[in-house]
Amino acid sequence: MLGALLYLRLTSLKNLLLSRLRRLRQPKYLLGAAVGAAYFYFIFSRPFGGSGRPSTSSGSAAAASFTLSPVELVPLLSVFGAFALVLIALFTWLVPSEKPGLTFSEAEVAFLFPAPISRRRLIHFRLLGAQLHIFLSAIFFTLLSRGWSFLGGHVLTHIVGWWLVLTVVNLHFTGAALTLNRIFDAGISVWRRRLVILGGLTVLVVAAAIPIWQNAPAFPTGNFGPGAFFSAIARTIDTGLLHWLLFPGKLLLAPFLAADLRTFFFALGPAALLLGAHYFWVSRLEVSFEEASVAHAEKRAARVERFQAGDYRLGSAPAKARREPFPLRVPGRPELAFLWKNLLGTRAVFHWRVWAGCAVAIMIGVPWIIRAGGTAPFAAIIAVVAAVFAIYTLLLGPQLARQDLRSDLPNSDILKTYPLTGWQILLGELLTPIAILTGLLWLSLLAVMLALAPRAETVSWLTPGFRLTAGLCAAAVIPALCTLQLLIPNAAALLFPAWFQSTRTRGGGIELMGQRLIFVMGQLFVILISLLPVVVGCALVIFASQWLIGPAAAVALATLLALAILAAEIAGGLWWLGERFEKLDLATELRP
Amino acid sequence: MIEVSALSKRYGDFTAVRDLSFTVQPGEVLGLVGPNGAGKTSTLRSLAGIIPPSGGTVRIGGIDLAAEPVAAKRLLAFFPDEPRLFDYLTVRQHLNFVARIYGVADHTALAQSLLEELEIAEKADQLPGELSRGMKQKLAIACGLLHSPRVMFFDEPLTGLDPLGIRRMKDSILHRARDGAAIVLSSHLLHLLQEVCSHVLILKKGEKIAHGSLAEISAQFAHGETGVSLEEIFIRATGGSEN
Repeated sequence: MLGALLYLRLTSLKNLLLSRLRRLRQPKYLLGAAVGAAYFYFIFSRPFGGSGRPSTSSGSAAAASFTLSPVELVPLLSVFGAFALVLIALFTWLVPSEKPGLTFSEAEVAFLFPAPISRRRLIHFRLLGAQLHIFLSAIFFTLLSRGWSFLGGHVLTHIVGWWLVLTVVNLHFTGAALTLNRIFDAGISVWRRRLVILGGLTVLVVAAAIPIWQNAPAFPTGNFGPGAFFSAIARTIDTGLLHWLLFPGKLLLAPFLAADLRTFFFALGPAALLLGAHYFWVSRLEVSFEEASVAHAEKRAARVERFQAGDYRLGSAPAKARREPFPLRVPGRPELAFLWKNLLGTRAVFHWRVWAGCAVAIMIGVPWIIRAGGTAPFAAIIAVVAAVFAIYTLLLGPQLARQDLRSDLPNSDILKTYPLTGWQILLGELLTPIAILTGLLWLSLLAVMLALAPRAETVSWLTPGFRLTAGLCAAAVIPALCTLQLLIPNAAALLFPAWFQSTRTRGGGIELMGQRLIFVMGQLFVILISLLPVVVGCALVIFASQWLIGPAAAVALATLLALAILAAEIAGGLWWLGERFEKLDLATELRP
Repeated sequence: MIEVSALSKRYGDFTAVRDLSFTVQPGEVLGLVGPNGAGKTSTLRSLAGIIPPSGGTVRIGGIDLAAEPVAAKRLLAFFPDEPRLFDYLTVRQHLNFVARIYGVADHTALAQSLLEELEIAEKADQLPGELSRGMKQKLAIACGLLHSPRVMFFDEPLTGLDPLGIRRMKDSILHRARDGAAIVLSSHLLHLLQEVCSHVLILKKGEKIAHGSLAEISAQFAHGETGVSLEEIFIRATGGSEN
């Protein structure tokens, strides 16, 4: 029987690989694969930072204290790694995942559950099925960690080390979930279970904290660096009860951290025993997992269907209706109906009251922090953090805020029967992400403007009047910039629906990653081209007029020009894409 | 009410619909039938303004769909085979949204009476995820009917409905036709044609094979025989295969 299950797994894998190879005949996948491969080559071929390497220069005392020798660093990694494993294990028990211990696809449920296969064989099938993913992950992590040359060892020992860690963690997740299922099946309520686990956790924390409190090693004094600091932390953690709790984790990590083959083979035995114990635990558990697996398979299928239909929102479909963001009155502009509809599909946090609250908090909080800090660096930190956040929001926000035509493309048949022009539908669909991104950027701008106040004392031209003018001008330009940024991915979805649709495929491998990279690069390229006339025009206006009307008025004048250019670009884009939407036949575009 | 003249739809080299002409008067229900790949869905989608035709004209209530799409679409409603709903809008919010799009004044009372007529008033504050397939279908119908369309297009209207739902859907179509709506529906189900349609248009490989009332079509393909079933007539008309 296991042979048949293995056949299913291996044949599916073979066919998956073949279909992936076959689709490389299509240029969109071939180009995506080339870009993805180039990206991976760049990531894995560049030298990694030698954060853990011992300093070769004489350096100052402070610099020397920053670094540690490999002999000191490996035990540190062992302690912190084991501590992380303990935390993961505790979390698994305290906050169990919604997933059942064993997950099956809908097809597996349909074919395997009614088949004459024992429950234990199904468990083996599932555990074996996870192995491919774990093995690939082990290779990936080895590639990522290959720059840690201070570890010594060999690439194969590192792969085996990662494989051991990932396999045991996976088995622990499975075992914990199945055990918890068994506890639930026995009729123990969620609250009672939480009370028991919390009680146990409290006892553990107290038992671990007392010896740490009593025998905590002294922290170094004077001019000490992060190396000495982390060593002290590790010594503190590795004390008393925690020392014993960390012990299995250290055993598990030992093969990966082994510096040579001899150490590796010595470390392999205890780690393999740990793995065997976990396997024995999971495979001997007599627990009913079928019902939870069926429910999960259905949920997952629904999620995949939604994902493929373009709905990228995380989590399952909402359980409860949201309160309306604003009353939708009839009659009125139909575009606002799309804003209203799409806002209902966002999280409750995207409500004007929340935004207003954030603005008030920033207006009170930023000056207070600057005053409490007493020094300019606090203001600089706030300004830089807010500015970086704003830049990231403007650049990456359109990829994340997708409550527009990209999410509604599956409903295009219905949208096109509405008595609206294409540009009206497109504009309406864009309003929600525009509102969200604009809100975030306005809040960031507010923080930047407030944080710049102390700089005004030392920079003569940064007068309150200029700051206010510049802030208002930036605030006026932000919605237009967001619209332009959002037009591009929506244009990509309308102009290249087959390409865009293929990037929605979940997982998908290197070629899909490459395609997504192409979309991101394309977006950057188009936005730069679109902004070129704005930047050149504004620069010329400011340069020519500031001598006559002063910097604040020059900036205001340049803003008017920027808004005019952006408005023209947006109007042209909306009209053109609206025409395209009216002619779009998704079914035809997606024909293979 | 619906005037179609020399309609064609091409996908690259493939012609899905070729030189199709017909009219549907108020109160008439036209059944679009044909084997798989006959061009039914392409025809229906072209008539509803979802996809642009490659040639020919479609007039809805005398308005050219290509020249004045917005005005023409105010008069029509399209009902897809699968109810396409917005996950995050409740039943009532769907109707509110559609009212705004079509500019339906006094929509609250109208929506309520529709919900009651379709027996989903109790579900008014629920999301589509909480509704059964039949309930979703009813909501899609309520959305389509809210602006009192004079032209309706149904794509496989009985898909996924239980016997009671099928009965109600048939009644609903007949009721709208009696009220003066011009209706086109596509279906594989011949009993639906028999019970609901006043006229039938048989398509094969994108071309019109036959068009007329059920009696006319029967007479055309019965070849003088009596008691020939609709199924037999369909097989004779289409040659018994997709090709």
